[in-house]
Amino acid sequence: MRSKLEISFISISFIFTSILFLIIGSLFVIPSFEGFVNAFFSDEIQFALRLTLSTSIIAAFGVMIVAIPTAYSLARYNFPFKSAVKSIIDLPMAFPEIVLGIAILMLFGNPLIGSILHSLGINIVFTTTGIIIAQFFVAFPYSVRILYSTFNYVNPRYEFVSRSLGYGELETLKNITLPLAKGGIFASSVVTIARCIGTFGAVLLVGGGTYLKTETLPIAIYYNLSLGSIDNAITAAIILVLISFIAIFVLEKYAYQNIEGAG
Amino acid sequence: MFLEVKNLCVDLGQFHLTGVNLNLEKNDYMVIIGPTGSGKSVLLETIAGFFQPQTGKIFLEGEDITNLNPEKRGISIVYQDYVLFPNMNVFENIAYGLEKKVKDREVIKSRVYDMADRLKIEHLLDRNPETLSGGEKQRTAIARSLIVEPNILLMDEPFSALDVNTHAYLTELIKKAISDYQTTCIHVSHNFNDVWSLAEQVAVMKNGKILQQGIVADVFSKPCHNFVADFVGVHNIFEGEVVGKSKGITDVKVNQNLILHSSDTDTNDDKKVMVAVRPENIIFSNQSFVSSIRNQLKGIVTDIILIGPTVWVEVDVNGTTFKGIITPSSLDILGIKKEKEIYLSFKSVNVKIIDEEQSYSALFSA
Ligand SMILES: Nc1ncnc2c1ncn2[C@@H]1O[C@H](COP(=O)(O)OP(=O)(O)OP(=O)(O)O)[C@@H](O)[C@H]1O
Ligand SMILES: [Mg+2]
Repeated sequence: MRSKLEISFISISFIFTSILFLIIGSLFVIPSFEGFVNAFFSDEIQFALRLTLSTSIIAAFGVMIVAIPTAYSLARYNFPFKSAVKSIIDLPMAFPEIVLGIAILMLFGNPLIGSILHSLGINIVFTTTGIIIAQFFVAFPYSVRILYSTFNYVNPRYEFVSRSLGYGELETLKNITLPLAKGGIFASSVVTIARCIGTFGAVLLVGGGTYLKTETLPIAIYYNLSLGSIDNAITAAIILVLISFIAIFVLEKYAYQNIEGAG
Repeated sequence: MFLEVKNLCVDLGQFHLTGVNLNLEKNDYMVIIGPTGSGKSVLLETIAGFFQPQTGKIFLEGEDITNLNPEKRGISIVYQDYVLFPNMNVFENIAYGLEKKVKDREVIKSRVYDMADRLKIEHLLDRNPETLSGGEKQRTAIARSLIVEPNILLMDEPFSALDVNTHAYLTELIKKAISDYQTTCIHVSHNFNDVWSLAEQVAVMKNGKILQQGIVADVFSKPCHNFVADFVGVHNIFEGEVVGKSKGITDVKVNQNLILHSSDTDTNDDKKVMVAVRPENIIFSNQSFVSSIRNQLKGIVTDIILIGPTVWVEVDVNGTTFKGIITPSSLDILGIKKEKEIYLSFKSVNVKIIDEEQSYSALFSA
């Protein structure tokens, strides 16, 4: 016999996941198949797809390179201002990414910093580089979060044993820690890429969302919808949903089945 | 001296190791015992190089290794939970440290097989460590640490997860392997059998301090702290008062009994002290007799307990309970029964005086 509480909680979870499913599913009902194919192969969507994937992969790669040492040091070492570092990293998760976007714009659009970077041949405002930077900072906190708990789960005694057997810190990281954390590293990469792909506000502000130049898929949805090109907008949305499905599928399949070295 | 730990202090915030000294000769086997939370694991990890001491030094063969990286010390460690690398099979676990030193695959293979053969785990070499039993994991972990021929092998309660029979069997196996490899060992244990069956040296630890270190027989027969005496199983510890001193003999009054202690102590009259007598040093007799034995007390047998091949006899002497240990045949010959009157004798040299201040500070200080 199920209790009343049990029944009502289960009902709530059913009702709201059904509504969510309905919402997502409705996307696939709206365009005609022909409309979808035409939109998919249109210059705009093709460009946006390529731009989104390429910037996201580069940004995610950069995030992982920085997030692994960051998360590792938060999990293992004690250092001054450690809790401040933790809060600063968590901060962007709490405020809208568009705020992060305007902040990046202010910093790099600043005449002094902007001109220094310009003289170095780096242009950030309204460029692809800007998109990558916006994606980087939006996704970075999520990546650190996952990696931090992963490294916390890897018992430091594995590392001690490895070192007591003659391996230095770097070799131990390579032979023991990273292999034991591979599930979490993988999960974190998938989440990071997904986050980069989905970034809208920050990318719009920093990249400028210029047609066939800095227009990513989320921006394409917004533009096309406001211009009345429903097919293009929906198609861009469907592509994003499919990418998310793939990400979640991969995540479920590989990441959670082998988080090793726990305990 | 092979390993010398000098006045080591480690600060972990809430916990401190204070003024730890240890001395070990090559091929010594030392067992460290002490209650939970006394800092045994922290001490091992400091010797291995995972904690930096605030003050103090560690010398290995005369060389100061206090600031040397763990991987440069040649000190390997076996943990209670064994921490076998889950990303490697048993063979790879054992071979791991060797691969750093030896590049020839054939040499590695033959050495791993040899080690596995000694520890009777050769049939497990391609198993995943998660599938091993506790005893198998333990032997794999010891093999992994021993195969690199470390300067010192540290073992943190390696037997605690095993049942009694396995424990006895593996003790022999591991003792043999360790002595064949001529390895100097420090072994942390809660179990006195480990001390008797393995150790040459014993150290007793409490609250981040080593209370006493020395040869097993010495520490057990001459505990220098109340706590050590209690912990290592000296059962007859009494509180008394110094009532007189003459010719190297101190008279201590315990309840109404006078107990004589030989050898000079700096105790004054009226001073409260603890006196201890080991149960095996108590001689039972049916009559009083005159001899060089200075302490003779009359009491009533209150309990007779068989423990393994020995008999523990508890005797009440004017409200103080003494415990003695004898053989079953002595029990028969003397006809010892409950309620029977009996004489206890023990030599004054076998009476240990423990200064109360020092023992109490050892008991309660952090
Ligand atoms: N990294 C650390 N940081 C702070 N405190 C620690 C750390 N490691 C251990 N301690 C503390 O040091 C004290 C001693 O711990 P330790 O593990 O050495 O005890 P132990 O004698 O090995 O006990 P047991 O017999 O239960 O294993 C404990 O109070 C523990 O909480
Ligand atoms: Mg411990």
